[in-house]
Amino acid sequence: MAERERGERRGKAEGRGFRRRGMGRRKVCRFCADKSMLIDYKDARVLGTFLSERGKILPSRITGNCARHQRHLTLAIKRARTVALLPFSAAYP
Amino acid sequence: MPDRRYETLVLLHADLGEPGAKELAERVKKLIEDQGGIVGQVQEWGLRDLAYVLAKQRRAFYVLFEYRSTPKALLEIERNLKLMDRVLRFVSVRQAENAPPTPPRPVAARRPEREESEFEGAAEFEGLNEEVP
Repeated sequence: MAERERGERRGKAEGRGFRRRGMGRRKVCRFCADKSMLIDYKDARVLGTFLSERGKILPSRITGNCARHQRHLTLAIKRARTVALLPFSAAYP
Repeated sequence: MPDRRYETLVLLHADLGEPGAKELAERVKKLIEDQGGIVGQVQEWGLRDLAYVLAKQRRAFYVLFEYRSTPKALLEIERNLKLMDRVLRFVSVRQAENAPPTPPRPVAARRPEREESEFEGAAEFEGLNEEVP
C-alpha cells in the first residue's frame, strides 16, 4: 500500500547513511503494521508513547512512523494538548 | 446544507461537582439540539486530572458529545460554548461518516498497546502529567 512504499523510501532520510549496511533494523510504522490501531486525539495513552519525557513530539526518525501517520499523529497530539489530555511540556526530567 | 458528523469534547469546571457537571452537560446537549443537531452518544468521563494547570484547576470533568449538525450550527454551538464560563475548554472535530463510534472510555478501552496499558489507573493518567511543583 501507499504507506508501505513511503516507508521504504524513508530509509534514505533515516540519517544513518544511504544504504542500510546490515546493521540495525528498519523501524516499521506502527500504524501501518497494525491497521486496527487508530490515531485518536482522545487516546492519550497511545499518543503519550510518541512524546519525549519532556512532552515533545518525537520525530518520525526515532519512532519510525511513516510520514502520513506522523502527520495524523501530530495533529492528534496537538488536539489532545488543547484539552489537557497531554502536556505541552512536562516537568523537567 | 448537508449535516456532518462531529464530536465535541468539553471540559467542565471541577467546582461544579458531579451533579452540577451533569446538569451543564445536559444544557450543552440542549444547546446542540436547539441548533438542529442530532445528538448521538454522550460520554461522561468524569473528573480527570488535567495534563497541566488550566484556569487554576488541576482537574476537570470531561464530557464527549457525538452529534450531527450543519457546519453553520457548529459555529453557533462553539460560540455558545465560549460564552459558558464553566466550560474551561472544548475541541470539536469532524468525524468521518464511516468512523466507528467512540468506544466507552476510550482511554481505558483502547487495545492495549504496551504492557503498562493494562493496569487499572487508566482513568487517571499515565504519568505524563507530573505537575511542576
